[in-house]
Amino acid sequence: MCRWQWDVGLVILLLMSNARPACGGGTAADALNGTQRQWNGTERTPFQHDHANNSKKTFPVLSFNYDHVRTHFQISLWILLAFLMKLGLQLIPRLSSIVPESCLLIVVGLLVGLVIQVVGEEPPVLDSEFFFLCLLPPIILDAGYFLPLRPFMENLGTILMFAVLGTLWNAFFVGGLLYGVCQVDSAHLAGVDLLACLLFGSMVSAVDPVAVLAVFEEIHINELLFILVFGESLLNDAVTVVLYHLLEEYAGVGSVSAQDVGLGVLSFLVVSLGGVLVGAIFGVMAAFTSRFTLHNRVIEPLFVFLYSYMAYLSAEVFHLSGIMALIACGATMHPYVEANVSHKSHTTIKYFLKMWSSVSETLIFIFLGVSTVAGPHLWNWTFVTVTILLCLVARVLGVVGLTFIINKFRVIKLTTKDQFIVAYGGLRGAIAFSLGFLLKKEHFPMRNLFLTAIITLIFFTVFVQGMTIRPLVDLLAVKRKQGSKHSINEEIHTQVLDHLLTGVAHVCGQYGHHHWRDKLTRLDKQYVKKWLIAGERSEEPQLIAFYRTLAVNQALELLESGGDMLPSAGPSTNSLETLKSKIQENDQSLARISKQRKEEIRRILRMTLQNTEQKLHSYSQHTQDEAWTLQILHRKQAEMGRKISIFLADAAKLQVSPVQRRARLASGELRETASSPLTVDQCISTFFEPRHIFNIEKIPLRTTNQKCYKMTLCKPSNDKIVSQFIYTHSV
Amino acid sequence: MGSRASTLLREEEIEEIKKETGFSHSQITRLYSRFTSLDKGENGTLSREDFQRIPELAINPLGDRIINAFFPEGEDQVNFRGFMRTLAHFRPIEDNEKNKDPTASEPLNSRNNKLRFAFRLYDLDRDDKISRDELLQVLRMMVGVNISDEQLGSIADRTIQEADQNGDNSISFNEFIKVLEKVDVEQKMSIRFLH
Repeated sequence: MCRWQWDVGLVILLLMSNARPACGGGTAADALNGTQRQWNGTERTPFQHDHANNSKKTFPVLSFNYDHVRTHFQISLWILLAFLMKLGLQLIPRLSSIVPESCLLIVVGLLVGLVIQVVGEEPPVLDSEFFFLCLLPPIILDAGYFLPLRPFMENLGTILMFAVLGTLWNAFFVGGLLYGVCQVDSAHLAGVDLLACLLFGSMVSAVDPVAVLAVFEEIHINELLFILVFGESLLNDAVTVVLYHLLEEYAGVGSVSAQDVGLGVLSFLVVSLGGVLVGAIFGVMAAFTSRFTLHNRVIEPLFVFLYSYMAYLSAEVFHLSGIMALIACGATMHPYVEANVSHKSHTTIKYFLKMWSSVSETLIFIFLGVSTVAGPHLWNWTFVTVTILLCLVARVLGVVGLTFIINKFRVIKLTTKDQFIVAYGGLRGAIAFSLGFLLKKEHFPMRNLFLTAIITLIFFTVFVQGMTIRPLVDLLAVKRKQGSKHSINEEIHTQVLDHLLTGVAHVCGQYGHHHWRDKLTRLDKQYVKKWLIAGERSEEPQLIAFYRTLAVNQALELLESGGDMLPSAGPSTNSLETLKSKIQENDQSLARISKQRKEEIRRILRMTLQNTEQKLHSYSQHTQDEAWTLQILHRKQAEMGRKISIFLADAAKLQVSPVQRRARLASGELRETASSPLTVDQCISTFFEPRHIFNIEKIPLRTTNQKCYKMTLCKPSNDKIVSQFIYTHSV
Repeated sequence: MGSRASTLLREEEIEEIKKETGFSHSQITRLYSRFTSLDKGENGTLSREDFQRIPELAINPLGDRIINAFFPEGEDQVNFRGFMRTLAHFRPIEDNEKNKDPTASEPLNSRNNKLRFAFRLYDLDRDDKISRDELLQVLRMMVGVNISDEQLGSIADRTIQEADQNGDNSISFNEFIKVLEKVDVEQKMSIRFLH
């Protein structure tokens, strides 16, 4: 369809931009050299022409100067192309439900790479520096900022076991056995020594967070499994960093002593704890800064992004684990920043993080495809197949063995199904490839061999495991994700249960994780919140904060969905009829309803009339449970509609007798105005002034077939009465 | 010293408790030593003062209710059997128990019984309904004194509105179960008892 033609056109444009400069090699540097020749001596802007040539040329109305925007143009075009492809792929209806998006993007990358190569240009390769410094941080920050902290902490022991011991086991198992195979098949693989094999093992052993996120998100698996696999993929970064650097250092030398191993263990502790510490420090700084942004709301998101990126870079400076720093930074600052920033900033932060991580993810997978074509490859059947086989076997054995130990310490044991998903979900991704790419050819002559094997492994896990995990999850009837918590009931009852469990644990004399969590929450409330949260929110109990967010969200949803809640709405007239009869029954209940109604309406109006431009779209990578949201929304709408319509029913029936309308002005004089009975609209426009506080009192009348209400509108600042209306209610 | 002998646990008692609650032998003995350490009066039963002597319970917002939950209806002393019976609610659910004889009575730590225990924390008058007032009391205990009555009232109203399905303006046990169906109660209400 026309979309494909558009995409093809873009690809061609991309190729042209690649091929543009006339100089051979086509690099930006050459192009720059070319134009520089013209500029020798005098300073010229790129727009001036060479005046040494004195013959008069016609003034160019339209000129073409591509070179000085070349790099930027290319980058922008790549990103645009990537996303148009992504859009285009979604147009094919059944494809996205069978094949996960990451696979499709890799295929697209392959195609683009092939096209570029066929044309004769050299396809760009995924530069490791670009990957680690630009593409990876947004994804990790997005994950860290929105990390569900509670399940993460509750399962921390399990996650650490998998991340540290599991990765070590994988690395040594694969590396060791691969070395054995290389010895056997010494025909082609004699050059691969033990340390190089172990290095290779360490590169392929780590579960990749990008791939895991990309696949697991689409299958909506339950929170426990998600956090286990994802948490493992985040925390194994420290292990990978240490192993990689250790082995890379000593692979050249050829041997590793016991002292080096000891230093390696120490280094691991430093790398992981140091990374977390750096991240936490930056997180606290960000939270502290956000306390003072009351008058500068626009720059709030900037602090979040910059502090996090600085945390990542600072950790990288000291060769600490950047990923753990980023996670620690995001998770630390999240509760405090959320309490401090405005609603718009909250939305901005969320959107930007999702957008950047989406960009990064797409680019990573496409570049992975392109780099595959770029090569250089050294294919060896034995090496590649043995690698894949060993990785699978190592993963399964590792998970089963570790779960056996872990289950002795867990409250909720991991079942076989859980173990299977954890093992099967161990996907490898671009981090492994980038680590391989970083190897220097001089030290590692078999670099190409490694790269080929890594790419094949990535393809295997992403395609085979990625595609089959969804039907397997359905087949095994694994518990799925339950829809996000937006019920105040759940919040209250969860808190009650927390207190209950802490209490019972203390009765039993056990100071387990309930005790520590309780203690931490208490410390947080007493000291930390006072420092990091601005204003009165620092003392707000969690329940109240939750309720407030809920009420605001609901009001905004209401505003968005039904601006026709007011007077002439269809749905409200039905309730109008039923309620007219109810009203005529009971005096007392009417007076009581008045007060409640007034409270309710006042609250709604204060919230909804604040800023009608605020729109709330819950956008998350996890699709929300639509039915549940809609159900709650409808119930709320019905309730609000009923309440508003009760009030308006009265207003509609009310007549204002002109004589009784008095306006007491601020000066204190009483002026009687004879005016025509107020129409409903006038009533509404008067009532719906959010500045005014109004009181409704019922005035008893001698005549029993009339009810009389006095409504007073006061200024909130000085309680001065602005106007008073007395209404008679005709029965 | 001599009176101590009468408070030692006999084997038959341990067996009975094991059958009733499902705790293991070592867990029972460990909890028994905790029981005796709390029992300052050394008469084999615990009173409310004994519980209140635990410092962490004093700062727990729901401390009083938790203590109440240990004492059966109307009584002021709880013996070791009662103590264990209450604690049995918090034992983790084990897989092999799910395959037991379906005609046997539900074990104390089943999901239903756990939820019923939690429900009783709210429902003081045991009328099988959490009324608005009862809810307000619990909310007040949890948020402290700085929050106005109005605010708490609107939270309570909202809570009941969300959960209430038969329109009686209170939360029955079934509605309570329904609201918590998404919460992993087995994990949230289980303590790993040390052996």
